[in-house]
Amino acid sequence: MIVNGQVRGASVPPETTLLQLLRDNFNLTGAKLGCDVGDCGACTVIVDGQAVNSCLMLAGQAEGRQILTIEGLASRERLHPIQTAFENSGALQCGFCGPGVLLSAKALLDENLNPSTQEIRDALSGNLCRCTGYTKMIEAVQDAARLLREESRTQLTHARTEATAP
Amino acid sequence: MNEHSRVLERDELEIAETLRSPDVDLRLPAVLPREPYPIEPLTPDARQQTRAVGQRATRSDARLHGLGQTKYIDDLSFPGMLYARIKRAGIASARIKRIDTSAAEAMPGVMAVLTGKEIPTNSFGPTFQDQPVLADPIVRHAGDGVAAVAAVTEQIANEALAKIVVEYEPLPAVLDPVAAMREDSPKVHAPNSNIYATKVVRKGDIEKGFAESDRIFEARFSTQMIEHVSLEPHAAIADWDANGRLTIWATIGRITLARADMARTLKLPMSRIRIIGTIVGGNFGGKNEISQEPALALLSKKTGRPVKGVFTRGEEFTATTTRHPIIMDYKTGVSNKGRILARQIRLVLDGGAYCSWSATTLGKACILSPGPYKIDNVLAEAFVVYTNKTMTGAMRGFGAPQVCFAYESQMDDIAKALGIDPLEIRLLNAFDEGSSSPTGQVLHSVVVKESLRKAADRFGWEPRS
Repeated sequence: MIVNGQVRGASVPPETTLLQLLRDNFNLTGAKLGCDVGDCGACTVIVDGQAVNSCLMLAGQAEGRQILTIEGLASRERLHPIQTAFENSGALQCGFCGPGVLLSAKALLDENLNPSTQEIRDALSGNLCRCTGYTKMIEAVQDAARLLREESRTQLTHARTEATAP
Repeated sequence: MNEHSRVLERDELEIAETLRSPDVDLRLPAVLPREPYPIEPLTPDARQQTRAVGQRATRSDARLHGLGQTKYIDDLSFPGMLYARIKRAGIASARIKRIDTSAAEAMPGVMAVLTGKEIPTNSFGPTFQDQPVLADPIVRHAGDGVAAVAAVTEQIANEALAKIVVEYEPLPAVLDPVAAMREDSPKVHAPNSNIYATKVVRKGDIEKGFAESDRIFEARFSTQMIEHVSLEPHAAIADWDANGRLTIWATIGRITLARADMARTLKLPMSRIRIIGTIVGGNFGGKNEISQEPALALLSKKTGRPVKGVFTRGEEFTATTTRHPIIMDYKTGVSNKGRILARQIRLVLDGGAYCSWSATTLGKACILSPGPYKIDNVLAEAFVVYTNKTMTGAMRGFGAPQVCFAYESQMDDIAKALGIDPLEIRLLNAFDEGSSSPTGQVLHSVVVKESLRKAADRFGWEPRS
């Protein structure tokens, strides 16, 4: 399978969940074990563009697929705009639910760069938080959406300037 | 030898050890003398706001949280680390007749099994030391641990739990706190009474107050048990090294208290215990005392390897502390104009099987139960009782939210019955600057009325009422 852009493989017992594979075999401990039954969303990762509870997915089911974990969100040079926005909005207190929330938000913003508050609520509905509450998270996702829209606009302008340059 | 000093006899040593406190004479010369506290207070004057209010602040650890780089306990692992699981009783009240761990011990991959008998001092607790690490021989609630297993994988540990055979002799259980107060009810901690702490707050003359009242309102309010449900379950890693030194990585909020408790349960000098408080994934009062840590420490001692224990979500609900359910009887005498003249309160806190922080919660609930109102005649009595249920302990507010629900609900009832606006009746009775609380404390920087008015203005109370 491809994890955060790298081909990774491991030989594990058939009952191993994707979460256990990521945490124990690949040492990607960003995804957390909160409830182990798919209620809390702390284990959320993105599989082929879709946010999934990795505690409910068997490692075998992820074979050959694209996995994105929180460790793969930022590049070496810069934070992902969602991370910047969550930090600036104070949307991460204890941070245990954070990786899951950020990835649910990422899956939403990949589909829709201008989500309504209700759409954000729906996208985060599978992620439980006990410290921060959801108001600041929704603000953060809106901020991140704004940052991403601006980015794609500048990229477009750049592309046009390059195209028209002699 | 100096006439002022002498060598202590062996039997005097222990006493001297307990008397030793952070004495200036014991400090190393390199340590600077202690500075007195700054005389100028750093707190602003009453009704003055610091410049920090209204500013947006970011957390210093938020970036690592967002990057997924924060290491919580479950994210740590050590070479040779074992996984521990605890077998829960699953029965509310019983005597353990026999525990057979032989089948579990024979399993490949199981490195050690621990029962309550092997724990040096099998009790702990922040107020009363009434809680066993592993029940022996009395089980007092279904979440009590009866045996612990350390195995090379979590799955083997789980399978080993199923192979431990425990024979119980069921005992009568008491689940209703009011019934538990009766003399003839089954005793959770026999032979002691189930009522294990009480508090009474008395002010003025309650009989006179009721006699002067035009109307008397009586109501019973009750709240339910609430679990903190911090997203990170209780987790700890214990490493008892070959030198006999114990290191614990724990999610506990009060690590110094935990260290003292650990020293007591393990009969180990405190100087041999090191507790590392890691980043906590939510506490809310639920991680303020030790729980599985002594068992992990002993499993580590038995195996010579680090042992990690993480509660399942189910254990979080059955085997860790919760918020007290309180049965609250309120009797309030008011004048026809809505002025409260007397208030009598009786609180019965369901303490669950063990004390934990119940005595603290009881005190705060009792003191705050009359509400932020000027009442000349108050009688508040509070009891906390043992029942065969999950123990209750600290949770945000220490009993204050429960009583707030009761007195504010009754304020609404009174306002409705007298035909007074709910905001008006609160403004009529609320504390002023210099009012004295039911315990006689004179209050300063009281802004409850201003806050109420401002809030009512902001959310548009007038048009709604």
